[in-house]
Amino acid sequence: MLKFPGIKGLFFDEELLISKGVMGISIPCSGLNSSDLKKSGRAYIDKKFVRKKAPRLPEVSEPTVIRHFTRLSSWNMSVDSVFYPLGSCTMKYNPKINECIASLGNMKNLHPLTPDFLVQPALKIIHDFNLILCELTGLAEFGFAPQAGAAGEFSGLKIIRKYFDSNGESRKIILIPDSSHGTNPASSVLAGFTPVEIKTGKDGTLNVEDVKKYISKDVAGIMITNPNTFGIFEKDIKKISGIMHENGSLVYMDGANFNAFIGNVRISDMGIDMVQFNLHKTFSAPHGGGGPGSGAIGVADFLKKYLPVPYVSFSNARYKISEDKERTIGRIAPFLCNFAIIVRAYAYLLSLGRDNISSVSEIAILNANYIKKKLGKILKDSDPFEKGLCMHECVFNDAALEKSDISTVEFAKLLIDYGFHPPTIYFPKNIHGAIMIEPTETESVKTLDGFIKAVGAIKFKIKKLKAIKSPQKTKVGRVNEVLANKHPIFK
Amino acid sequence: MGDIPLIDESLLETLSSCMDEKTLYRFFSDIDSNLPDKNKFSIFAGGGIYNHFIPSAVDSLISRSEFYTPYTPYQPEVSQGTLFALFEFQSMIAEISGMDVVNASMYDGAESLAEAVLMSIRLCKGNNNLILISEGVNPRFVSVVKTFIGDTDIKIENVVLDDKTGRTNIEDLKFKLKSKGKNGATVVVQQPNYFGVIEDLEELEPVIHGFNPRPFLIVSSTEPYSFGVISPPGFYNADIFAGEGNSFGNYMNFGGPLLGLFGAKKEYVRQMPGRIVGKTKDSRNKDAYSFILSTREQHIRRGAATSNICTNSSLNAVRAAIYLSLCSKEGFSEISLLNLKLSHILKEKLLKTKLFKLLYSGDFFNEFSLRILNSSVNVAKFIKEMAKREILAGIEISESDILISVTENNSLSDIDGYIKNAKAVLT
Repeated sequence: MLKFPGIKGLFFDEELLISKGVMGISIPCSGLNSSDLKKSGRAYIDKKFVRKKAPRLPEVSEPTVIRHFTRLSSWNMSVDSVFYPLGSCTMKYNPKINECIASLGNMKNLHPLTPDFLVQPALKIIHDFNLILCELTGLAEFGFAPQAGAAGEFSGLKIIRKYFDSNGESRKIILIPDSSHGTNPASSVLAGFTPVEIKTGKDGTLNVEDVKKYISKDVAGIMITNPNTFGIFEKDIKKISGIMHENGSLVYMDGANFNAFIGNVRISDMGIDMVQFNLHKTFSAPHGGGGPGSGAIGVADFLKKYLPVPYVSFSNARYKISEDKERTIGRIAPFLCNFAIIVRAYAYLLSLGRDNISSVSEIAILNANYIKKKLGKILKDSDPFEKGLCMHECVFNDAALEKSDISTVEFAKLLIDYGFHPPTIYFPKNIHGAIMIEPTETESVKTLDGFIKAVGAIKFKIKKLKAIKSPQKTKVGRVNEVLANKHPIFK
Repeated sequence: MGDIPLIDESLLETLSSCMDEKTLYRFFSDIDSNLPDKNKFSIFAGGGIYNHFIPSAVDSLISRSEFYTPYTPYQPEVSQGTLFALFEFQSMIAEISGMDVVNASMYDGAESLAEAVLMSIRLCKGNNNLILISEGVNPRFVSVVKTFIGDTDIKIENVVLDDKTGRTNIEDLKFKLKSKGKNGATVVVQQPNYFGVIEDLEELEPVIHGFNPRPFLIVSSTEPYSFGVISPPGFYNADIFAGEGNSFGNYMNFGGPLLGLFGAKKEYVRQMPGRIVGKTKDSRNKDAYSFILSTREQHIRRGAATSNICTNSSLNAVRAAIYLSLCSKEGFSEISLLNLKLSHILKEKLLKTKLFKLLYSGDFFNEFSLRILNSSVNVAKFIKEMAKREILAGIEISESDILISVTENNSLSDIDGYIKNAKAVLT
């Protein structure tokens, strides 16, 4: 089937690994004598348990594995190779020193059930990182059990539930703006709530009067993303928090977009009771091709007792892994936290320090507005919020594209051939053919100009480009997702 | 930002002023050097996470930033590397677990199990209100399941273990299914179980599936490396497999991030949580890969999705794919067998000291439970004293009982060191 690996440029083809007869691992020498080495499984356990047919794994040498995965890696666009303005994902540069630190030998080989007295320095990292997050937010304590943003949301919602249970109330409704991330309603349902959508106002923010219409004694809380997914600051957040609190409801903030605030404003000043942070977004831990991340959940003082266990406590000059939260929602993960991600996030904050931390959000906002203004001139009548400024990201609709009879997805695929990762598309769902761009603070003006120019070039040549099935320059052409779903092949 | 005040820098007391790269590295390497030395400390603790050997080639490949700096492959044309590697991961885990369909990863084994339980409830279309969990399931996993199910009217009940063998007690299981499972039920067992004992799925499965309405069988595992030696859940007609895959090429990292494995029978695929990679064609009719069946997921289905999971453990899954490729068919079986042998050697030697007795008679893979016979030394003290001698002796399961794990990373001389020090501590 495979003739020669060379296809074009520096792309090389690869087949699934299925050769025979070799292996690529040097098995540790155990010191077993030859008679023990010869024994089969049946010498130790009942033969009824013994696997008769070994799993069919590849049979390949180390150099073959290295070449295979090296070639595979070259088929990915990544933050390190291209501008990757995926909206709401905060694809900032991942500092290499953090990777170096996270791979320090003793830390990464630490068993989570090692006695506390041997792991004091590791517990101190978690404890100190917690203090810094509290200072940056004005909240009282963070829990690190949630493994990613959605798990943080789930934990937060469980806390809301437990809070009302403890007060002898059973409130069922969580208010969620229609522009929210899909995880918000999904997490609400998982935590046993009924999500109710609130319509966003014309200016892209929640209208206080609209919110009031949804208020009832059955409303447990509101889940509000700030800045919201249009990249706009919820200007009435304080008033909305006030309305919720008056009703006895809690205010949860989806902190996926915290990159717009970090170092500049404390979310407690907005009346927020709880927030989850995606440490793989704002706090520079890499996205890993889809994970792993960490979804720290932060709460105000009156909610501390509900946080998940276990957690790190500190008393009498000793750090301890504790389980004694008075009204904990319980365990979210098997062990303490995604430690290796927390180490990276902590290193990130230390490298910036109190003197530089605020410039993260300042430059992120500046970059997003630069794109908003310049692209707004190219994609005419496509900025639904043209008048105001945006925060860390901006959103366009497909008005200008439609005029040229081209869809958002076609536009996204065209961008690829110009050497850019497409923005988030068709989200938020209430913007027609949405294009959501988040440049982050780690991109230079030159890169932003290049991207803007590419959009200009596409627009200029659109008639010619329309005839081509994009992308052309990638390892594979347009992937047939309909076929993939019609006849699914899983393995 | 309207009326929200800007942060006063003086409020940031804990955060120091910026560190240069050299200082930052020094700061963390000082921390690292005050932790147990990986070259001296021998680890005999498992309990859900195991100390396996990781070849340098895994670290070398995974440090390619083309793998670790992108995000979820929403645009398949520019993400074929990750998608291809995840497809290989799914294929290899399907082969090892014996399941039809495996997804592209969950957070960890515990969350994976909780999602498996939720999936079984969905498959019963609201009739199922009984979850029977064997006492052989990792208690940390059970706690996570309880957090997930906690607020519903679904009942969770334990199935006890046989006092002698340490396997799930089949009579207790039958009794509970018969008396409480009339509206459907889900049975959860762990293979090998928390105490290290290999469950007799050959005996359990027909009993479980023989009931009407047919209960769901979920098999969990924290040590899928065992499936190199023992028959995997798929061979026993398990409906869902939900396990921890950290043993495949991932570091322990003080407990995370981990790698949730999730597999199921093909007919249940539309109720599965998480992302699934499928093989398809591109516009030039060449093989290509993309996510499939996304209509199950939160970014499309929102509140009606099968799960709220978005970010998963993709990079750890790619690590596992690289690791398992390196192991190859022969190496995987050989390492698995080596775990079996070394753990049995340590068990024999410990029993010979007459300081311990075996807690359960059932066969085990690389982990077993012992009782300390010297009643003046409790397990916590034993572990502490052994730790001072640079040995992580195991995990406390009760005041007198300890759970001990042995992997290919423990050589015969490590085992002899354990014996020598255990004698010193206990006599």
